[in-house]
Amino acid sequence: MKISLQLFGRFRDFGAAPELALEFPGIATVADFRAAFDAWARAHWPGYPPGLLQASAIATESSLLRADSALPADGRLALLPPVSGG
Amino acid sequence: MHEQPHSDPRIACAVVDIAEARLDVQAALDFVGDDAHGGIDVFIGRVRASSHGRQCVGIHYDMFDALALNVFRATAAAAVERYGPAAKCYVAHAKGRLAVGDLAVVIAFGSPHRDEAFRGCREVIEAVKHQAPIWKQEHFVDGLSEWSEGCSLCGDAHAQAGDAAGHAHAEPAAVRA
Repeated sequence: MKISLQLFGRFRDFGAAPELALEFPGIATVADFRAAFDAWARAHWPGYPPGLLQASAIATESSLLRADSALPADGRLALLPPVSGG
Repeated sequence: MHEQPHSDPRIACAVVDIAEARLDVQAALDFVGDDAHGGIDVFIGRVRASSHGRQCVGIHYDMFDALALNVFRATAAAAVERYGPAAKCYVAHAKGRLAVGDLAVVIAFGSPHRDEAFRGCREVIEAVKHQAPIWKQEHFVDGLSEWSEGCSLCGDAHAQAGDAAGHAHAEPAAVRA
């Protein structure tokens, strides 16, 4: 499945661009995506901290997604590290 | 300014790009002002000159605008529902590179009596801080910068990062699918 992943906060320091174009065959749920992305990040991002992904939420523009949620058909996701507004 | 149209005339929410405009406290007061109200509580968050003992020159706020506006709207609607029906709420947050003294967030909550105004305003700012997809990168006088520790939005891990700062967490806003 093709995934367009928006990066925010600390994740912006790892990606060369604010959005990643990824392709993960056979994934269907948010949990599948997490596992696939974790493997991808370990392979592509020197200094990648796996704990940051574990503490991060996966979302669309309208809502946070649970681990068992189906991935959106358009493949558009956002990776949200712990927040610090205000 | 990125404003969210809202069907409830008691609520106004906005994301303001500091490159285009600044937060407007008077606009917040004008919005929540109502002859039925005896109290308006306003919270103004501004960039301070130091953080954890280090001198700051500014803060960069990163934001996922669409979802942040959803959180603002859901939180404001919940507070108006709880402290209404006459209550009104205004929520605006800046994004981009802010300097020391710049306003980062303005919350205004108007209601017939002061207790509801205080409670409503507090409830909304706590949700904005702990639930909205906003990230703070502090820039220091020595040229270094750091992303702030924050509050995790993912379920069971929700408390882990924020509790180090010793603050309370409200229940997550109803934006989870």
